[in-house]
Amino acid sequence: MTAADKPLLPGKLYWLATAGGFVAAVMLAVAWAPTEATMGPVQKIFYLHLPTAINTFLACLLVFIASVGYLWQRKNWWDDLAAAGANVAVLFCSVVLLTGMTWARGAWGQWWTWSPRLTFSLVLWFLYTVYLMIRASIESRQRRAVISAVYAIVAFLDVPLVYLSARLMPDIHPASVALAPAMRVTLACWFVPVTLLCAGLIAIRFQLNRRVSSAKQRKDVRPLSRPAAAGGSL
Amino acid sequence: MSRVVRQVLLLVAKDLRIEARSRQTLGLVVILGLLIVVVLGLGLGAQENVAGFSATAVLWVAYLFAGVLCFEKTMAVERTDGAMAALLLAPIDRGVIYAAKLLTNLALTAAVALVVTPAGVLFFSFDLSASPLVFVLVVGISMVGFAAVGTLFASVVSSSRLQGGLLALMIFPVSLPLVIVSTRLLNRIFRDGQGLDGQTLGILIAFDVIFIATSWIVFDCVLEA
Repeated sequence: MTAADKPLLPGKLYWLATAGGFVAAVMLAVAWAPTEATMGPVQKIFYLHLPTAINTFLACLLVFIASVGYLWQRKNWWDDLAAAGANVAVLFCSVVLLTGMTWARGAWGQWWTWSPRLTFSLVLWFLYTVYLMIRASIESRQRRAVISAVYAIVAFLDVPLVYLSARLMPDIHPASVALAPAMRVTLACWFVPVTLLCAGLIAIRFQLNRRVSSAKQRKDVRPLSRPAAAGGSL
Repeated sequence: MSRVVRQVLLLVAKDLRIEARSRQTLGLVVILGLLIVVVLGLGLGAQENVAGFSATAVLWVAYLFAGVLCFEKTMAVERTDGAMAALLLAPIDRGVIYAAKLLTNLALTAAVALVVTPAGVLFFSFDLSASPLVFVLVVGISMVGFAAVGTLFASVVSSSRLQGGLLALMIFPVSLPLVIVSTRLLNRIFRDGQGLDGQTLGILIAFDVIFIATSWIVFDCVLEA
């Protein structure tokens, strides 16, 4: 029994709920949440920015756990899970950077400053983009899984160090934001669809990776040994 | 314990002997480091004494590129004549191989730094006289972490016959904390005349400890004949 056989793919209802959540969240942010006094409407980007940032970390954590899992058990589905997590992590990190830059342009008047959190997000983006590059450049299934797992572990352990070192730079990014109650509710409402989207995308990607690997295995392995091939022995 | 030390020293001596006889790596890497210093110095307008010019940043770029080349070469040695297979067959722990490669890489990068740093000091009139020992300490501690990560990744890349560019791609983003911390630290000491900040130095030491320990643990998985 491999993970590919389990019904993991989110159904129509799931995506409908996610889309509905997004519509509701946008409406709340636009119509209900008060406009911030100093920054104006551009502050509303925040409702997308923060949940996406937190989901990026969760995706990175998933990549780390899956990589440790792979090195521990040598099961191919751990590797597929790590790849799925990294894909979504890079996507979400890009959204964090873009929304952050737009917000910075509105609030501080410039697209980019080398403040700790911006630097941190950029390095995070680089770390996981490189992860995807590494995967793309290795042919052998087993080698790719081992090498990317080793890299993912090192990259994840690097994250707190990047954060600590980036803190040495002068900061203009708010560490904590005082929110009006209506803003807090809106933010909480944004967390739901963003997290659903993150989990859904990872599940889809994971399923796709599983199918690709089993299709490749079917091609490589002689028909007689097919049932044993899914386990991912070395 | 002494057996482990003896094994490590044996492997390091082997690598350094190969390097001393073939002289393949060091000459190349030293010249590359010098070139980077000169190119960046000219490009950044060091001769015009631009405000905020940081000689440490230039030195770091040279260390990074030269280092990556060193790490690559030290592992590439094992690729010829099936040396890696022989090394893996030898009755030694994989951790010992890692430690030996790390020490060899440290020796090589130290040799590069020994030439490149005076060049930077000369070209940019970078004044180290305030506390040269602190400079050695900060750069040395950073180099250990850099070499720890580099040795691990080089063995990964070397044993999978990947293209060389990938190694730099793997090492640079991971080493960014080292570059940020040590340039900040050195600028604070030598440009702004402040003292050594123990807490900041702690980040460098934490980097070293975390990555030597991690590499030691995962090195088993990456080596392949």
